[in-house]
Amino acid sequence: MLSQVMVEANIVTIRKLSKVYQQGDINVTALNQISLDIRAGEFLTLMGPSGSGKSTLLHIIAGIDRPTGGECHVQGVDVTRLNESELADWRNQNVGFVFQTFNLIPVLTAYENVELPLLLTRLNRQQRRHQVNTALELVGLGDRSHHLPRQLSGGQEQRVAIARALVTSPSLVVADEPTGNLDSQSAHDVLGILQTLSQTADKTVIMVTHDPKAAAFGSRTIHLEKGELTN
Amino acid sequence: MTVGSFIIKNALRNKRRATLSVLSVAVSLFLLVTLLVALRELTLPPEDAGAALRVVVRNRVSLANPLPARQRPIIEKIPGVEAVSPFTWFGGNFKNEESMTFAQFAMDPKLLRTLFGEAKMPEKQYEDFLKDQRSAIIGKLSADKYKLKVGDKISLTSTIYPATLEFRIAGIYSGTIDDRNLLFHHKYFDEATGDLGQVGTWWVKVRSAEDMPRVITAINAAFANSSSEVRAETERAFQLSFISMLGNIKLLVGSISTVVVFTLILVTASTMSMAIRERFRELAVLKALGFRRRELFAFILAESFGLALLGALIGVGGAYALYTYGNISHMTGGIFITFEVTPKIIGFATLVAASLGIVASIAPSISVARTSVVDGLKTLD
Repeated sequence: MLSQVMVEANIVTIRKLSKVYQQGDINVTALNQISLDIRAGEFLTLMGPSGSGKSTLLHIIAGIDRPTGGECHVQGVDVTRLNESELADWRNQNVGFVFQTFNLIPVLTAYENVELPLLLTRLNRQQRRHQVNTALELVGLGDRSHHLPRQLSGGQEQRVAIARALVTSPSLVVADEPTGNLDSQSAHDVLGILQTLSQTADKTVIMVTHDPKAAAFGSRTIHLEKGELTN
Repeated sequence: MTVGSFIIKNALRNKRRATLSVLSVAVSLFLLVTLLVALRELTLPPEDAGAALRVVVRNRVSLANPLPARQRPIIEKIPGVEAVSPFTWFGGNFKNEESMTFAQFAMDPKLLRTLFGEAKMPEKQYEDFLKDQRSAIIGKLSADKYKLKVGDKISLTSTIYPATLEFRIAGIYSGTIDDRNLLFHHKYFDEATGDLGQVGTWWVKVRSAEDMPRVITAINAAFANSSSEVRAETERAFQLSFISMLGNIKLLVGSISTVVVFTLILVTASTMSMAIRERFRELAVLKALGFRRRELFAFILAESFGLALLGALIGVGGAYALYTYGNISHMTGGIFITFEVTPKIIGFATLVAASLGIVASIAPSISVARTSVVDGLKTLD
């Protein structure tokens, strides 16, 4: 078991984390006995070739995938021990997601997309409006709140996705190749926002990327290869 | 934004598909309501107060076999019997029509008021009918259909007897359960057919409801072991047995209704499955954001339920409006006089729609519940 001191010192504490996929008769090891600590406010970037296990690691930390072995404590909670329902609540309160393909709901406006996670909270309409407007202002899209995703550029869509990730004030933001579908200028803007969140808003950001330039925005970079940390 | 508006936006995201889904439900439920109402109308026994005191006496062998006219005084003497009238089917075709579109019966006109008190017409017309043996009275629906008025002359050629009868319309009645029939003097029928001394049926008015069972038993017993045994029964029972001659309508309509409902379930379930399949990634995103399985199930259920109920509103509501405010007699060429969409039928059709909404949402919900967030994101990424 991890000591209480270790859990409190880091926002994420991982010990001997393993993930093995079953593909027919073959076992594929995605993560092999990984141990890792991530401090609060850190902007950690995960790099590695395709199939190295970086997205799997990110998914387990964010509570959308389960390991086959080991422990993963996030803010003192072992997410591997939560059931489906508890995990859903925990994700809503503690994790913000940014995906490569933005994953906005096409029939909802930017404002409504950002408001979506707040429908699960007890906030009233006025409180929700304040939160949503704050999040949209933070990413510089206060004037685009009533636009549908198709009326926005890729960079703007990703900024809406970041606002959605921040609107519940989570302590952890996970981003899976957030600049993979963006031009260089938009990618620079998005990475700048994530960096600012880490540096000034005390958010812990974990980002998966293939791009060394994107990784340079992080405060620390770790490399994975064949399911193991290489540095 | 509210959860409700989110569900509505999702349901209407593909407007063409949503419209077609709603219309498929609406058309199917319209058909279901039509079948159920038709079945009810066909099997509906007469419920008016007069029918409760009427007994129909027919030949025990078959309705097609006549009864001897000499039976009348015997029936009249049975205690509890108020009046007895012959009631003989003439089966005539009007003008050049290929088949009969309204029934004609020969009867004793003096007993019209006693037997069919619900038939309303001016007293003067009734008196005229009584006086003129070659006159007839006709129900308002048929009079309206053929634009007949008092004083007009019509000719009917029987398909049963070798006779063509000319009538003068003495009156037009209304208020009965079937305001289509033509009634005329049995004496005129007897003269035209060579005084055969036969009648089709006897219609008997009984003094009180308490007398009914005893009168029926007495009539049957009076002619037992005679050359013309009879079968006396209430008007309600007579009508139901008459309907059964048309075949097992209930089974036929029930089978068609079942096929309609089953097809409806397949179509709606398929539509919902398609709608959810193309949103798998979005549902995975919702899961990632913290929505639980039961909330996603509620979204899918509400969407499916909403589309089905909207279809019900249009289909059942449309049927109600059409059959309540439309001229059903005109629409069906006089086959149906009333076509009442009862609260029971509305309730049943709405229940079918609600069940449909629930059943159609089950498969997509199970599919969404079984898929993990990661798999959901991968599937369409």
